[in-house]
Amino acid sequence: MKKILKSIILGVVTVTLLYSCKKDYLNLEPPGQVSDALAWKDGPLAEGFVNGIYAGLGLGGFHEEMLASFSDEAIFTHAGRGFNIVNEGILNPSNLGWPNGNYQWNQMYTRIRAALIAMTNLPSSPFDATLRDRLRGEAMFLYAYYNHQLLRYYGGGPLITKVYGLDEDYSAERGTWADNVNNIVKYCDSAVLMLNGKPVQEGRASANAALALKARVLLYAASDLHDVPTAKSKSTVINAFSKPEILGYPTGDRPARWTLAKNAAKAVLDATTGYKLSLAAPEDTATATRNYISIAMGGGSKAPGVDATAESEIIFGRYFIPAKGEAARQHGLNNGPNGYNNWAGNSPLQHLVDDYEMMDGTKFSWSNSAQKAEPYKGREPRFYAHILYDGAKWKPRGSSDPANEIQTGNYQGAGGSTIYGLDTRQGPVENWNGSWTGYYVRKFIDPNPALNDNKDRQDVPWPFFRYTEMVLNYAEACIELGQDAEARTWLNKIRYRAGLPGFTESGDALRQRYRNERRIELAYEEHRWHDARRWMIAPATLGRKNVYIAVIGTLKAGQTATTPYRKDPTKYDYTYSPTVDNSLENRNWLDKMYFLPIARDEAIKNTKLVQNPGYE
Amino acid sequence: MFKTQLFRNTCLSLFVMLTCCSGTVFSQSDIRVAGKVVDDKDSAIANVSVLVKGTANGTTTDQNGSFSLPVNNPKAVLVFSVVGYQSQEVALADRTQITVRLATSSSNLTDVIVVGYGTQKKVTVTGAVATVKGSELQKSPTVNLSNSLAGRLPGVTAIQSSGEPGYDGSAIRVRGTNTFGNSSALIVIDGIPDRAGGLDRINPADVESMSVLKDASAAIYGARAANGVILITTKRGKTGKPNLLYDFNYGWSQPSRIPKMANNLQYAEMANELVLYKELQQNPELWSAGWQGLQTSGQYTVPGATPRTFFGTFRPDDFAKFRDGSSPLTHPNTDWFDATNKTWAPQVRHNLQVSGGTDAIKYSGSMGYQNQDGFYENSATGYKQYDVRLNIDAKVNKYINLGVGILAREENREFPTSTAGAIFRMQMRGKPSETAIWPNGLPGPDIENGENPVVITTGKTGYDRDKRTYIQTNAKLEILIPGVEGLKITGTAAFDKYNLDRKRWATPWTLYFWDKKTFEADGVSPKLEGKVRSTFSDPRLNQYSENSLNVNLIGMLNYDRKFGDHTIGFLAGVQKETNKGEGFNVFRRYFLTPEIDQINVGGADEQTIAGSAFTRARLSYFGRVNYNYKEKYLFEFVWREDGSYMFPEAGRFGFFPGVLAGWNISDEKFFAQNVKFIDNLKLRASFGQMGNDQVFFGGTLQEFAYLGTYTFDTYILNNSLTRTLNERVVPNPDFSWEIANNLNLGLEGSALNNKLNFEFEFFYNKRDKILVRNEAAVPNSSGISDKLPPVPLGKLDNKGWEFKVGYSDIIGEFRYTVSVNGGFAKNRLLFWPDTKGIPEYQRATGRGFGTNGVNFLAYEYDGVFRDQKDIDANTLDYSAATSKLIPGDMKFKDMNNDKKITADDRVSQDWNRDPRFTGGLNINLGWKNFDLSILFQGAAGGRLYINTESGDIGNYLEYTYKNRWTVENPSSVNPRIANRGGTYYTGGGYGLNTYYFRKSDYVRLKNVELGYNLPAAIGSKVGLQNARIYVNGLNLITWDEMKIWDPESTSENGQYYPQGRIISVGARVTF
Repeated sequence: MKKILKSIILGVVTVTLLYSCKKDYLNLEPPGQVSDALAWKDGPLAEGFVNGIYAGLGLGGFHEEMLASFSDEAIFTHAGRGFNIVNEGILNPSNLGWPNGNYQWNQMYTRIRAALIAMTNLPSSPFDATLRDRLRGEAMFLYAYYNHQLLRYYGGGPLITKVYGLDEDYSAERGTWADNVNNIVKYCDSAVLMLNGKPVQEGRASANAALALKARVLLYAASDLHDVPTAKSKSTVINAFSKPEILGYPTGDRPARWTLAKNAAKAVLDATTGYKLSLAAPEDTATATRNYISIAMGGGSKAPGVDATAESEIIFGRYFIPAKGEAARQHGLNNGPNGYNNWAGNSPLQHLVDDYEMMDGTKFSWSNSAQKAEPYKGREPRFYAHILYDGAKWKPRGSSDPANEIQTGNYQGAGGSTIYGLDTRQGPVENWNGSWTGYYVRKFIDPNPALNDNKDRQDVPWPFFRYTEMVLNYAEACIELGQDAEARTWLNKIRYRAGLPGFTESGDALRQRYRNERRIELAYEEHRWHDARRWMIAPATLGRKNVYIAVIGTLKAGQTATTPYRKDPTKYDYTYSPTVDNSLENRNWLDKMYFLPIARDEAIKNTKLVQNPGYE
Repeated sequence: MFKTQLFRNTCLSLFVMLTCCSGTVFSQSDIRVAGKVVDDKDSAIANVSVLVKGTANGTTTDQNGSFSLPVNNPKAVLVFSVVGYQSQEVALADRTQITVRLATSSSNLTDVIVVGYGTQKKVTVTGAVATVKGSELQKSPTVNLSNSLAGRLPGVTAIQSSGEPGYDGSAIRVRGTNTFGNSSALIVIDGIPDRAGGLDRINPADVESMSVLKDASAAIYGARAANGVILITTKRGKTGKPNLLYDFNYGWSQPSRIPKMANNLQYAEMANELVLYKELQQNPELWSAGWQGLQTSGQYTVPGATPRTFFGTFRPDDFAKFRDGSSPLTHPNTDWFDATNKTWAPQVRHNLQVSGGTDAIKYSGSMGYQNQDGFYENSATGYKQYDVRLNIDAKVNKYINLGVGILAREENREFPTSTAGAIFRMQMRGKPSETAIWPNGLPGPDIENGENPVVITTGKTGYDRDKRTYIQTNAKLEILIPGVEGLKITGTAAFDKYNLDRKRWATPWTLYFWDKKTFEADGVSPKLEGKVRSTFSDPRLNQYSENSLNVNLIGMLNYDRKFGDHTIGFLAGVQKETNKGEGFNVFRRYFLTPEIDQINVGGADEQTIAGSAFTRARLSYFGRVNYNYKEKYLFEFVWREDGSYMFPEAGRFGFFPGVLAGWNISDEKFFAQNVKFIDNLKLRASFGQMGNDQVFFGGTLQEFAYLGTYTFDTYILNNSLTRTLNERVVPNPDFSWEIANNLNLGLEGSALNNKLNFEFEFFYNKRDKILVRNEAAVPNSSGISDKLPPVPLGKLDNKGWEFKVGYSDIIGEFRYTVSVNGGFAKNRLLFWPDTKGIPEYQRATGRGFGTNGVNFLAYEYDGVFRDQKDIDANTLDYSAATSKLIPGDMKFKDMNNDKKITADDRVSQDWNRDPRFTGGLNINLGWKNFDLSILFQGAAGGRLYINTESGDIGNYLEYTYKNRWTVENPSSVNPRIANRGGTYYTGGGYGLNTYYFRKSDYVRLKNVELGYNLPAAIGSKVGLQNARIYVNGLNLITWDEMKIWDPESTSENGQYYPQGRIISVGARVTF
């Protein structure tokens, strides 16, 4: 028994000794991370945090699936990505289709929170005031920018102004349209104060960026869709909505709103300059085409003939450099022709092609037999800068196509056979990646022949705000205020740059020409979908069925096909037939689509949330 | 030879004299009986006790199984017994030379099995512990140990989802899935938990035994024990002269199953269907006429105001050429799997082992080499392993024992620059109407991205080499405290060093294209054009390096003693673990030449440099108390006080107890006297609380969720790569373990003279405080929905049973063992953060939970709209799915009866991809020198979603061809084919519907080994103690319902490296 006792004592002693082992080493800190407290005491760290807020900008507009394909600009080539859900009006709170990260609620509110954290901590940060103010200004701009994304896609969202912690009441009512607009304008104004005089850096918010954001938001605010009486008169769905103040101004003075918009745009026009906007007469065709290739490149192309100074157009952009392998750099692969082993992503629709004017400023028309016979001849320079069509010159592609021309047609071959163009969905090269429409987008693809889009990457920046948008915003406000002469003065600066005669119209005729001008000038820049909605012309534009082009080349009598095929009007008769095709998407406009649905789960989690009209 | 024999005998005698009880006195007139004891494979069994029945006269066999014993009666009966074998009595009947073969015991009552921090006699074990011997695992020809487990351990599921050399391990689950994040068992190798590299690459020849703690017996491992513990013990030396064993194995492997794809005619037919459906999407009433047109003339003109003509992708003359094979260049019938893969991929294993020792020092060493080739023709894929293990046990003096173990292992994985996923994606997509290889041997065009599987499987595109080095050491010092019998102090130290170096060198490659028209001067050879078709044109190099060091220190105090009928055991210990690692990754492109693959030759443009690091620590106190009375009433208590760096200081330490009890009913008089045919019967029960500190969200370990820190990333500003800081988590200052409450009832025993043995287990596991991200309560507008920290809300329970029944006997020269085992586990979420307000049939709560998360939320397939009449009769609104219903579209069930098919009609399914039941049937047969072992293994209760990437983009399964709606043969069961997810029922949300789920139940002939042991007489003539030749196989035959790809697969689209079927031959010789 004594032995047992002894051993138990020994055991207890040993265990006690072991227990006294130091536990400090369990207090670890994650390597490669920094504590939040430290970050706000240190300039470079705080700057890093603010730099991080920019990530909510995603890839700018260079996601594989572009907003252009939600509009009458383009159609997305690959099925199964949710485009038809949106474009056929199927979308609803539990089936959102393709919501891009650039405007999804979770993404936007995550970045809004980050901006709020920065704005909360920076005022008491101990470092250099110049840096501190700049960072505050950037955070304010980004806060405003992300709120403006929510506003223009969904209508007024919950106005979040606090940094939430754990276990709080997260329910929040949607702010009214007016409150949201005012909030954005307020932060833009503050950002301008903080950023004024600070050096401008590519990709960073600047005072001009904040001015431009304010101008855009005020323009939207003044538009038809957000004037509740107008919107109700044009849409039964909106008319039936019980909380219209979330989506627009229920009452009030529209001219005052247009004046605010006009003045805000003018502030940008006065603060900086654009690219080649002081011409007194139209440029020649070649120069005008080059102007627009250069504008699209935004200084990011080394291709011969591209003017790098066109970068000055961009007030706020998303930039790409070789040091970071981002998917936006493969924009050429995503959208280029399948005959070059690219993927055709967002292909231009015939509607867009038709809206490019003729060289003399007249409308293109299929009922004009000469134009129908040669639809790609004598079009305005921006057409050639933006669109790849059958026979368009493009990059070198070797022996299969020594002429280096786009082939989107079917051509007669030897013995009655058919040669399917290299860039068609029946062609010999990865035809599942061929365009359905018979067109490819050229705008934003670096034309540098040394860049093989399948293999190489480009560094073209995405313009969120470009000087020309501000010119157009200004002109729109002027037109709505009846100041046609002032509008024409500014619009014609753009026309001349595009090699086109100036406008002479007034009133609604000017408004219609302005709208087309805006459509062409800003094609593929994430404007059309918003513009068509805020002007409430969506049923007649976005809701149109898809039209593609069927290009058929028939050998003239006695001619034989060349091998390999190349476009040759001396041998072939070409016919161009616009064709309605609903097999990929059967587009349909429903008025609920004026605003995107709020995800069902979000509406369930936030009990105070009101769903957008038409989605109940 | 004679001399050797003499020497051996002399030694033997000396040995016997030393080991025999010195008190035994025998007269010169006694007969001397000598002999050998072998097992059913003719291998010598050492340490067999040989006793003259009814006397104390006896001896034990030596390392070679030999014994020699003086016997005073030529008619005496000898009793042979040893752990792990059935005891046997042999009448001498005047013989002086005998060979005895012992049958493997299935009850192993005297066996000692490995449990947490020690060993226990099988008879006193109170937990649910499944064991398997290393020799069993060695029967499988796989080079990955984890693939040997399936079907051998009841309640242990091993699912191999890929056969790619280097990544062919099985996912192992003990009693299914018990939690949301990490459900993997803790693996303890030679007493050290969670060693880098796990169990996969342990040389099977080094494994002495494997124990799986399935219930509260694991509680001694505390915060990491909740998912069960797998204990692996490596071989150690035994007293005796050096024993040298060489094992050689050569095998051939091929995919266990390759999906059957459509042939050229079938594909062409379907490609034309796609044209028809596209061109006449709005006019299904014209389909019949259109199809007629495509078939007869290859075109159809749509009537109307402006008639429009469309053409089939394939014309009637194409079909004619496909049919008669007259133009193989333009109209081939390519089997892409055939073109890419060889029939058999070789693999080889060598293993050399030496062991032996004296009472003072024992050693066991082994060296292994493995080389495994990939399935591809000219394969750039392969796995090579070199390993060395040395275990030494020294008895320093009466009180001090020292054990040292060292493992060094190098794992070389080699791959082409394309991933297996991409390679098999292209084999699935390859169209039978396209050419893989031209007649002159040059590779044909790519399918996409430059990927022609014939080329991207080879070294022509560069290489991807991954080298991992492991050095694992452990030293154990045991001090028996003088003066206190049974008291022992043990100190263990283990250092595990791990290093990974990966180098991926990608060079551009060329493929050959033909316009299908132009020929060389000879008029028959196609004129090919070579093009660089890689998606890049400059060589590029990725180099990645990572290293880590685990330090593990254990101090233990044991007190084990027997006081009369009372046996007590006491263990207390402390364990300290730290784990630190760092890594970096560099990338450069624009290399001057594809000839030099060194990082300094690359260009500086677009180079990237990245790094990573981690640090982890744990501190634990643990112990065990056991008590038994006459080995009849058994009681055990295990505990651990565990501290993990994973949790905030306040909740860092947790206490994990386990209580176990057992009752050997057969030792009770009333039982022994009344139930004669049962030899042993034990009833066991256990209950324990364990933890799981491995919190994973979306596959990422959630470390330091209690600290507010920012992580680093990059963003382009001002034309340069700037650093960014990002809020990582909204810290939760207060959270702790998830808690497992595991209850187990067990019944085990043996009957019919120990020939029959059985084991039954019933368990109920309930997991509380599972750490989840409570997204359901937090709207996105809060800005924190993706930064939510772990909160202890989740609850899950899991119940099931296991059994194992075996029977073994020897009939003359014929010996056999048959054993069957199975395990069933069904879990259920008791609380999952479901979005509030969703209908009951969509809730995850109340349903199962699988390795890939909550059960599928899928639309309920309800047949197919056979024709327009069927569509006209439809009363449901499909407008949320499609703007127009057309024949061949799929029907869904309207679950909420709102007459609309919307996302609200999705149903949370009652099953997931994990099988609920797994089991095995083991048959071991022996006849003379031959032995045969057979393992059937099966699984049931899981379902797999199958949807391939088919259409213009790639080929269809033959299954799809045979089971589809067509114009000529409309179906109300199978839908119309789609072009790459181009219909509502194949792509997007509605694509996840129950039509595409297939039962993955199967039974397979998992493992067979046939061996022949050279008779000792022949062996000894060539200097061999023992020689065995064998042939074995893995995954030989599979019976299943799915029949598309391997039913063990977890792939939805077939784009994965298939599991292997292996046949191998080998020889094992002992010198």
